[in-house]
Amino acid sequence: MPGIDECLTEAMTLPGARGASLVDWTSGLALGTAGESPVGDHETTAAETAELARSAAEFDTFLATDDDSGGGGDDGRPEKAGGPPVEDLIVTTRAGYHVLRFVETSFDSSVFLHLWLDRDTGNLALARMRLRDIAEKLVLG
Amino acid sequence: MSAVATPVSPMLVRLAAEKATGALLRDHGTLYLVDGRVVHAESPAAPGVDVLLTTGGRLPRENWDEAVDRAGAHRAVGRFLVDSGRLQDGELEICHLGAVFDAAFFALSPTSGPTRFRYGVGHWFGTVRPVSAEAVERETVRRRELLDAVWPYPAVDTAPVVPRPAAPGQTVGARQRALLAAADGERTPAELARLLGRPAFHTLLDVRRLAAAGLVETPLTPEPEPDPVPPALLPVPPVPDPDIALLRRLRDALEAHL
Repeated sequence: MPGIDECLTEAMTLPGARGASLVDWTSGLALGTAGESPVGDHETTAAETAELARSAAEFDTFLATDDDSGGGGDDGRPEKAGGPPVEDLIVTTRAGYHVLRFVETSFDSSVFLHLWLDRDTGNLALARMRLRDIAEKLVLG
Repeated sequence: MSAVATPVSPMLVRLAAEKATGALLRDHGTLYLVDGRVVHAESPAAPGVDVLLTTGGRLPRENWDEAVDRAGAHRAVGRFLVDSGRLQDGELEICHLGAVFDAAFFALSPTSGPTRFRYGVGHWFGTVRPVSAEAVERETVRRRELLDAVWPYPAVDTAPVVPRPAAPGQTVGARQRALLAAADGERTPAELARLLGRPAFHTLLDVRRLAAAGLVETPLTPEPEPDPVPPALLPVPPVPDPDIALLRRLRDALEAHL
């Protein structure tokens, strides 16, 4: 059963991975970090990504669902009912990708995984899927 | 960003350097150290791991009580919750780290009075994910600065939270809506944190954000300082177990110098 460090280590094995962290978006605290930070300091990166994640997680625009029946879609892999309303957030920069994946826990929390990828060697689609699995594994084992 | 310029607790810095194991007791909470690293913290101001896990969470209170009964004596309650399948490692770490940094923020608050350290004392929850004392210090300082950057008036921290109507077109996030819905005009941020099963600092921060947005009443700034109390009338801090022998030796030594 993986803990925070095992999950971050696994995220770092993805192609092009440069840095990974688990961050609380209410406080901006990094609960765990691996690899590098784009600004040379994981704590600064955690505080900055937390602001971005908080906006996405809190604004109504991103909370609205297409389907109000509440039964969950049947396309692809539907999130279980009560899963994070916002699943992930992707920021593309000239040199890299940032994937922020929200983590749903069984108790009240506000955490996400942040993975920073090199733009040339990273595979965004793969990273997004794997990060989803890692986020699930972190809380479901 | 490696060193803290002015440590919030010089004693914590010293204990970390000497890799001490024990409990650091301060006015507003206790930090537990193993080999100089912080393994647990608790504060009356912050909801404990039990509140965070069982309030609205998946863990029934009975399961928590069972874990404390069966593993408390071995200081392995956290481990028991995972080994008995109640919780996953990741969840335990997320919840426990959140609770530790939360309690540490209040335990290390600057108004704290005397600090004492009891060598060898451990906590029954057990070690989950030790963090360096330096990281705890740094985060505590960062949190203070963050609160003041959002809304620099701490009066809202302890006053009952009284919601104000939103301005036309003003939106409130989902978590803050839940906070406002629970605010009945009497509950303080600390009480709301306990009710919602959220860390107390998170609730303080949200209340300051709401204050900055004009969505909660902001108490008037307290009236000017009351007349200073003459020093002679200052209350004597409560001392549970005065060291009589030491006091006698001190008295004797003083008398010998007279």
